[in-house]
Amino acid sequence: MKPHFLFPYWCRYLGWGLVIAHVPMSIIGRANGMINPLDNPPTQSLFTGEHLFFICTSLVMALGLFIVAFSREKMEDEQIWQVRLDSLRWAIYINYLVLIASLIFIYDTAHILELNLWVPLIFFIIRFRWVIFRLSRSLSREG
Amino acid sequence: MKNNIRVERAIKNITQGELAEQVGVSRQTINTIESNKYVPSTVLALKIARVFGKPLEEIFMLEEGD
Repeated sequence: MKPHFLFPYWCRYLGWGLVIAHVPMSIIGRANGMINPLDNPPTQSLFTGEHLFFICTSLVMALGLFIVAFSREKMEDEQIWQVRLDSLRWAIYINYLVLIASLIFIYDTAHILELNLWVPLIFFIIRFRWVIFRLSRSLSREG
Repeated sequence: MKNNIRVERAIKNITQGELAEQVGVSRQTINTIESNKYVPSTVLALKIARVFGKPLEEIFMLEEGD
């Protein structure tokens, strides 16, 4: 099989680490009065407290999900690659469905952006893992 | 597309895991091919046929509607 670019297997743990790490960062930030810039009119200056808070929460989570989604499996073969492509297709369908629905029914464009940052990746990961789980379950059933 | 990998494996007396190792895929993939849930690429089909030392058409056959 031709090699495709994916992150190494161990990167998935790094990815989950980032996703989990964003939770306490978010809680501590909010406890200290930080507000997500998406909840506020954007300020022009970079690397202010709120901008850093945004990087530490939303972007860390998005980066973590991205790494989890695109890490290699232990045994990467053509079937896994097909499942991956199929899950990506479904993730794009769902993403555009959510995007179109939210453009029609919601005025709040800043949150549509935030939604778009996560929906395709989260849906992709859930669908991909679910198919892999089902494949390995049918394998263990047959023994 | 159907196949008789299971029969050929029995004749050659190798397990799904051994066949998977010889063609460089996971056991899961061999299992789904055997149960007709997954159609392998031409390259993988040729590799499987080579393990059994038979022409491709003796291992994989087209079905009605293919």
